[in-house]
Amino acid sequence: MAEEIVRVEDLRKLFPRKVRREGAKPWTRVIPGRGSVTEPFVAVDGVSFEIRRGEIFGLLGPNGAGKTTTIRMLSTLLEPTSGSATINGYDIRKQTSLVRQSLGAVLTGERSIYWKLTGRENLEYFATLYHMPPRTAKQRIQELLERLDLAHRADEYVERYSSGMKQRIAIAKALLANPPVLLLDEPTIGLDPQSARNLRELVLEVRSEGRTILLTTHYMEEADLLSDRVGIIDSGRIIALDTPERLKGSLRQLDVMKLELHDYDPALDGVLASIPAVENVVSSPAGNDGAWYVSLHARDTRAVLPSVIELVGSRSGRITNLQVAQPTLEDVFIAHTGKQLRD
Amino acid sequence: MGQSTLTAPSDTLARPRVSAGSTLRVLLAVARKEWIIFTRYPTWVIAIIVWPVIFPLGYIFTAKALGGPNGASLHAFERLAGTSDYISYIVMGTVMWMWLNMTLWDIGFHLREEQMRGTLESNWLCPVPRLLMMMGASLAKLSTSFIFLILTVIEFRLVFGVSLVRGNVPLLLAVVLLTMPSIYGIGVMFASLVIRFREANAMVFLVRGLVSVFCGITYPLAVLPVWMHGVAQFIPITYAIRDTRAAALSNASFAQVAPDLAKLGAFAVVLPVLGCLAFAYTERRARRTGSLAQY
Repeated sequence: MAEEIVRVEDLRKLFPRKVRREGAKPWTRVIPGRGSVTEPFVAVDGVSFEIRRGEIFGLLGPNGAGKTTTIRMLSTLLEPTSGSATINGYDIRKQTSLVRQSLGAVLTGERSIYWKLTGRENLEYFATLYHMPPRTAKQRIQELLERLDLAHRADEYVERYSSGMKQRIAIAKALLANPPVLLLDEPTIGLDPQSARNLRELVLEVRSEGRTILLTTHYMEEADLLSDRVGIIDSGRIIALDTPERLKGSLRQLDVMKLELHDYDPALDGVLASIPAVENVVSSPAGNDGAWYVSLHARDTRAVLPSVIELVGSRSGRITNLQVAQPTLEDVFIAHTGKQLRD
Repeated sequence: MGQSTLTAPSDTLARPRVSAGSTLRVLLAVARKEWIIFTRYPTWVIAIIVWPVIFPLGYIFTAKALGGPNGASLHAFERLAGTSDYISYIVMGTVMWMWLNMTLWDIGFHLREEQMRGTLESNWLCPVPRLLMMMGASLAKLSTSFIFLILTVIEFRLVFGVSLVRGNVPLLLAVVLLTMPSIYGIGVMFASLVIRFREANAMVFLVRGLVSVFCGITYPLAVLPVWMHGVAQFIPITYAIRDTRAAALSNASFAQVAPDLAKLGAFAVVLPVLGCLAFAYTERRARRTGSLAQY
């Protein structure tokens, strides 16, 4: 078998979108041909990557970047507009059934299972949909329930489970047919910190069994912790792709200064960016109490620090915390896009 | 997490071992799942027990009032309907209407319910034909309808002393069996439209309204204007209601209703095919537009 178990080449997805015709009155209804035109919205714009067998590949990007659309195309739920992809050697356009048999996917998290069935009934149902013989299915289900610490609650309705347990049942469902590839779309979203940590451990364990995992996330810590390689995606394009260490290493010539301020005026971003040796400045509110975070990338922190303190002090707010930090994947994203992941 | 390890992923397992047996198991698994979920909402069970008796009562009492003392004014009805047993006559029509109504709601909203629950995608991620899953769901609804029909027969026997299974029983069963594919074909068409438009209440109200007016659920078609007869002949329920009444109330023979049976047979072929085509279109469109994930 080829080293690469997932191959994606120049995948594109366009959705038709009705927009108001130029010059149309603001109250005109958006009806095709009358006051509106249909324009393509590019959700995924020529994405290419390969995933090696046994690798965890993270797609990191903000909401609306094209992560979920990509994963839905790979899982055969969406038809690509152009481009190609194979999973386990099977074409996602022409061999949809074989692709689906090669995949375990958790796309809608805890909503992907039936809450009015018990955990065991859910697994029995989906095992049948994977054409598993009843005896094999029974054995496999018990194995998964024990492995995921769900055996003691297996005969309770899923609606009584915690979010973490529901997510584990969804993962058990994805693992039922013993697929070589697992697709996880934002697997820890909505989970409490403890459940999220447990789930990340589980993902690493599943990988150690030889499975290949493609996960999407907008949590840069998650992508950093779990992924062997990360593709950073924004506006439907992969803008950087490498191991987390190499991606962060690409910024080593830059220092990352993290400031916490009170009563900051974001209009100052441009002024700070005009300081010689400053490459990027991105600010965001830290809460409702007037606190702000500012990330500043500079070639020489020592040289720019006095100017930064003076500018902020004289024009806007006061600095409550300042540190020079190691670059994170978020800094990589900022360096490529000039905006933050949460934007 | 537990300490046991899982079986390593296997490329051989990546090939589905599809057989007639496993396909039948899929069909039954979907039906079983639907049935289990149905029974876990007890109010639904109560509804199918109470509804068959409650629904026709309004029509029956209206007929009783219009019939006058001792049914003195029923001659005109008897002349047009061919029977003075207006209770059985009304019940036959309302049962067929309720059956269609249940099918439109149950099968028509099946995909939409899955979509809103979030389980539609996880089902469609499995390596089985999606139409097979739809058929499994229809099978579950068929069993619910069967229970509904049985309960109706029993309840009317007990409450009104009316036997609905009488006259030419083989013909009665043949009409019901021949009507089934049409009703489920309409149901699958509806399920597809609901996914397409994500709102079906208006369409369900329209269809059941048309059926209740054009198919003569409580009155003979003879009272309708001529142009309405033209519309009624394109609705299979018209023939189903007319022939169940003919079989049960007038002891009609197969030969007497043969033209109607032929039309019901044609509907039984055409409507399921249209249902499958609508479903295939919806499935393809959903893959192109991503509408599966939209609410």
